[in-house]
Amino acid sequence: MPYGYHGCYLRIDVSTGRAERVPLSDDVLRQYLGGSGLGACLLLHEQGATEDPLSPHAPLIFAFSPLVGSPLTTSAKFAVVSRSPLTGRFNDSLASSGFAVAGKQAGCDAIVIVGKATALSVLVIDDGEVRIEPADDVAGESCPVTEEKLRARLGPSYRIASIGPAGERAVRYATISHDGRHAGRGGSGTVLGSKNIKAIAVRGTKRCEWAQPRELTQLSRDLSKRSFGPATAKYRELGTAANLLTFNRFGTLPTRNFQQGTFDEAANLSPEQLRVEYSKTRASCVACTIGCEHIYSVGQSNVRIEYENLFALGSLCGVSDHAAVLRASQRCDELGIDTISAGGTIAFAMECVERGLLDEPWLTFGSGDAVLRALDLIGRREGIGALLAEGSRRAAETIGQGSIAFAPQVKGLEIPGYEPRGLQTMALGFAVGARGADHNRSGAYDVDFSDQVDRRNATLDSVRFAIETEDKAALMDSLILCKFLRRVFDDFYTESAGMLCAVTGWEVTAGELHETARRIVSAKRQVNLLAGWTQAEDTLPERFLNTPLPNDPEASLTRERLDELVGEYHRQRGW
Amino acid sequence: MYVEFLGIPRERAGITEMHVEAETLGEVLGALSSRLPGLSELITADGLHPSIVANLNGDEFVTALDTPLAEHDRLLILSADAGG
Repeated sequence: MPYGYHGCYLRIDVSTGRAERVPLSDDVLRQYLGGSGLGACLLLHEQGATEDPLSPHAPLIFAFSPLVGSPLTTSAKFAVVSRSPLTGRFNDSLASSGFAVAGKQAGCDAIVIVGKATALSVLVIDDGEVRIEPADDVAGESCPVTEEKLRARLGPSYRIASIGPAGERAVRYATISHDGRHAGRGGSGTVLGSKNIKAIAVRGTKRCEWAQPRELTQLSRDLSKRSFGPATAKYRELGTAANLLTFNRFGTLPTRNFQQGTFDEAANLSPEQLRVEYSKTRASCVACTIGCEHIYSVGQSNVRIEYENLFALGSLCGVSDHAAVLRASQRCDELGIDTISAGGTIAFAMECVERGLLDEPWLTFGSGDAVLRALDLIGRREGIGALLAEGSRRAAETIGQGSIAFAPQVKGLEIPGYEPRGLQTMALGFAVGARGADHNRSGAYDVDFSDQVDRRNATLDSVRFAIETEDKAALMDSLILCKFLRRVFDDFYTESAGMLCAVTGWEVTAGELHETARRIVSAKRQVNLLAGWTQAEDTLPERFLNTPLPNDPEASLTRERLDELVGEYHRQRGW
Repeated sequence: MYVEFLGIPRERAGITEMHVEAETLGEVLGALSSRLPGLSELITADGLHPSIVANLNGDEFVTALDTPLAEHDRLLILSADAGG
């Protein structure tokens, strides 16, 4: 067994409470590392690709990594992997902080949950020993309240990952949350809720040893020092919310369900304005030196704000009232739902109302009250909320009348805050992404904001950049390191090989890690193939094809061009 | 021509835009580095820090110091790390 690993995963059947340690070979660990990679491998091994995501037989995987528990900055992360109930395709959502460390200290490299408890329950993992307890006292509670109550019940040494009321009610984009961070996209919380598990409480004492502790310490100090420099300044000083005015200036801020790329009132939602209106603190995950979290005080409570909240609940819905957007962000956290999918689905519904396809006259663009009311209905699955809880694709399929053309999703996953027509390498990344439209699994927007491509006119030359960023993201999600570090590295693959060697003792090279990244991307594709994927899914909604942006006529992407790019992507992948 | 600042460059410059008399990218950067000391970590006469990029009129991203600029041009200075 290599250093940095326990060499096994904990497989728990919550129908019976039975748990077993399943060995993981050195080969598997070296080929898939951890996080998303190990999760994809285990999902295939557990035959999760062909199970209904909400079936008791469907596995839900919490995957740690060799770097978890090390002194390397940003390494306290875990991946939650399953087949998505929103898309039916591969889903990996990552979250941060103490749960990753505690989960690994329970003595396993991953936790695989199958089955369904007989009643809403708490899964307790105490240093590898497993028991199932009732969840009556936390049923219907938000994630923060759930964590507080369970730590009071079980003890402060436990770390808790939980679902909110939305996960209990099978909202298809429910999150799993821990300490205010979220495994947000794709409905991981929906899967956990389908197993009648409200929360997982974990603690442990089993630490891994490192192959080269002195070397690792030196690498960690160097990485931490570099993490304080200009490459991460944006995250420290403004947070991801800095994107808002930049994207608006470039005409790529999705507005009113992607009808426009600029929002006249964008300045009202900018971090520059928010800090005038609210007091703000900064926080960081366990083992992180960047401190990217910007937390605004709203009345008696605090709200973490990212760019995606401001776009999805703000400009995408035409809402410029920052108080409403902050309250909506907070409501998403309370309910335990993905802000991007919530905002995208609500914006879609607003356009349906605008076009006379839905009879909900209160649900109009620009109304912060409408967003808040819609979120409450989604969380309770009441009225129109029952339809919107299914996501924009299923809502469009139910509404019909051609509405699928403007449902802002790929493979069923709502599109994040990057207008595809103005960021066409990103558009390709969205179209081909294994889990759907995703800015975390494809970093292609970085290339669009460079002199390497013409962001409004993607050519076949753009394809290799989409592949490179996808591979790099897959490796970062498997090592696991935060992508906010990405510009700190001079040579990411070589430096990662050094860190991995110091942890595991493997004589890893940059070339091997390139292969590992490609293998992980292929494993995700393998899941999708088994789940019924066809190449026809690698596309964008009709809205984005053949219709230029009204504010930027040069930002136009044809179906023919996208199909050509997708075809070239598959050719270069060797698929 | 005008220089617009976005994100961290705006934070460091303390202004959203400024007028600069310059005919090339290099001349603009030289002017900015001398007139806005808050940008000293990000912009020098020799070029931009790797974490910063420059864009001409919202169209092309430019790096060559001899890139010609016209009076009506707007040069956008922003973080290279656009997403997150």
